[in-house]
Amino acid sequence: MNDRALHTVDLTKRYGRFTAVDSLSLEVPAGEVFGFLGPNGAGKSTTIRMLLGLARPSAGRARVFGSDASDVARTHRLLAYVPADVALWPTLTGAEILHLQARTGPGIDPAYRDELVERFALDTSRPARTYSTGNRQKVALVAAFATRAPLLVLDEPTSGLDPLMEREFRTAVGQARDRGQTVFLSSHQLSEVEAVCDRVGILRAGRLIEIAAMRKLRGLRRAEVTVSYTGAPPAGLDTLPGVGPVEQLGADRLRFSLTGTPAPALRALAAADVTALVIREPTLEEIFLDYYGSAEATR
Amino acid sequence: MKPAGRAVTQLAVRQTRRGGLLVLGLAAAMPALVAATYTSVMADPAAARSIAGLAANPAIRTLFGEPVALDQAGGFTVWRVGTVVTVLLAAWAILATTRITRGEEDAGRWDVLLAGRVPLRAVVARHLAVVMSVPVAAGAAVTTVLVLAGTDPAGAAVHGAGIGAVGLFFVAVAGLAAQVFPARAGATGAAVAVLGTGLLARMIGDGLTELGWLRWLSPFGLLALSEPYARNRVLPLLTLLTVTVLLIAAVLAAAGHRDVQGGLIAVASGRRPRLRLLSTVETFALRRLLRPLTGWALGVGAYYLLIGFTTVSVTGFLAGNPALADEAARAGFTGLGAVEGFIATLFALLALPVGAFTAVRMSAYVAAETNRHLTLLSAQPVSRLRLLTAELAATTGGALALVTVAGTAVWAGITATGGDLGLPTALAGPGTRFRS
Repeated sequence: MNDRALHTVDLTKRYGRFTAVDSLSLEVPAGEVFGFLGPNGAGKSTTIRMLLGLARPSAGRARVFGSDASDVARTHRLLAYVPADVALWPTLTGAEILHLQARTGPGIDPAYRDELVERFALDTSRPARTYSTGNRQKVALVAAFATRAPLLVLDEPTSGLDPLMEREFRTAVGQARDRGQTVFLSSHQLSEVEAVCDRVGILRAGRLIEIAAMRKLRGLRRAEVTVSYTGAPPAGLDTLPGVGPVEQLGADRLRFSLTGTPAPALRALAAADVTALVIREPTLEEIFLDYYGSAEATR
Repeated sequence: MKPAGRAVTQLAVRQTRRGGLLVLGLAAAMPALVAATYTSVMADPAAARSIAGLAANPAIRTLFGEPVALDQAGGFTVWRVGTVVTVLLAAWAILATTRITRGEEDAGRWDVLLAGRVPLRAVVARHLAVVMSVPVAAGAAVTTVLVLAGTDPAGAAVHGAGIGAVGLFFVAVAGLAAQVFPARAGATGAAVAVLGTGLLARMIGDGLTELGWLRWLSPFGLLALSEPYARNRVLPLLTLLTVTVLLIAAVLAAAGHRDVQGGLIAVASGRRPRLRLLSTVETFALRRLLRPLTGWALGVGAYYLLIGFTTVSVTGFLAGNPALADEAARAGFTGLGAVEGFIATLFALLALPVGAFTAVRMSAYVAAETNRHLTLLSAQPVSRLRLLTAELAATTGGALALVTVAGTAVWAGITATGGDLGLPTALAGPGTRFRS
């Protein structure tokens, strides 16, 4: 099998004069859990619809395990999908919908499906008309996780779930990764992406503005260093490369931001009598706000 | 309180005005056209005699209603288009009522509306009032048109009032069904069943004198009993209006005794899975078709069974009146004297329900795509062409089933009344019509 689960080249979708997705080039290797982040209206769902062949690209192309995304009879054998806003046939029960999805889909693991129904506490005897948003989402999630498809495409799958169910979701993503499945996860829940994803792409106004491993993404950004000391304050920090403005937090405490390698700053601190040192990595939220905030400023 | 209530009324108006104006226009135009051409049609005494003779036949009475006062433009108009206008108005009243009440509630849009100041009962009342304004206007339009055409004002008033009253009755019936059933399809189905039963009761009551009392149980029968341009009876119309008022009272009482998004009939909170026909997209298309198809087959079957019952009588009558048959032939209805010829003419009507069936099924498919019910299936390894083909195949099969039901029903009716028509011929007849 092709080792690239997803591959897009200059993928573009225009609706009249509005460009929803603009020259998106992306590669997701098989076996990776990829987070797809972006504010509302950034083009996440449009991208996913093109990956699934549900929407036709205006330009560029999308491939799923080497096959063109428009060849759905072939590519959909290799993937399972959870839409952002799940709508189910109102007269069918949860069990009937799971059966229909299993029989028409790429094949499932029935024992694992039953386990998922149990874990997500889903009452499958009720008609879909009576399901809440979260329950409809659970039906789609169980149907997707139970497949043996090598790629799971999840479009904001936890927006209607409570924290307990979210924990089950993270466990299920971890199990999918252990089985070697690739997960493409579009999300607003930064903590969730942070918890489960290997790599993250950030989309803004239809353009991919950053794509990096979680670890590298944090490295690119400023860490926050807080130093407590006795005696004279550490000297010469301001002039070091990568060190931002130094802020005095009291008589014997200071704080500064740090980008890149911490070695020069540590050498400077070694000269002082440091009693405590806290380096806090930026959360994805801060990274996200950094990108998003600068977009607001330049718009 | 007032502005909030008015906003709800305006919401209902926005949802019904287009269809309402269309129905109003048709209700006014059809009688106007027939009344205006009456003089030219009746100028030939032979033609007038033929129509009178044809209208006197029990079988024709079954299909077109009991003719009264055919000698006047008004009476002729009532006989010629009265039923069509009434059925059109009734059907629209049902669809519009369930769409803007149960349909909106079912879609969850009333949750936001009812979080406002206007309570459920008032919202229901205002929506029904808006739909009811259309039958009232249509009745007034029919009366105005017929008076302007120079017919007897008393007859015009009774006929207009009757049409309006039937429209109001079906708004109330659909309104009640929308309180009883928790889903729009069920509510619409129940109200349409009342319409179909009412039509059948009137047809049977018109055709069989000994069962004439059946007409008192049907809104269409009560309309016929008012005999516009002849006896101008008001009692049947008062009866119909009284029943309508009682129904509206029931609607409002029911609206106060149920949950929003729920009906008086509770949805079963759970059931054992029924996995039949859920294995492929083709069988799933068939599964979704079966229930609506049953309803359509019942309606079409009942109508053609009735035609079958009357065929022997009407063809015998026409065969015994060669002058009449000639007249009919000149009008384009050849071979009416023979069973096959008569049936062939009536199978031409079958294109209407079968065409409507296919149109409704395909629009349901489009609706399933727009409201995203199809999304999960579209993400399966199934091409969109295959999804569409499955739907087309199921719908075509359903149309063929309807045609077969019609043919079999006619055959059963004719055979039961001692007529002679082979089943293969009965089935070939509508089949040919369907193909053309």
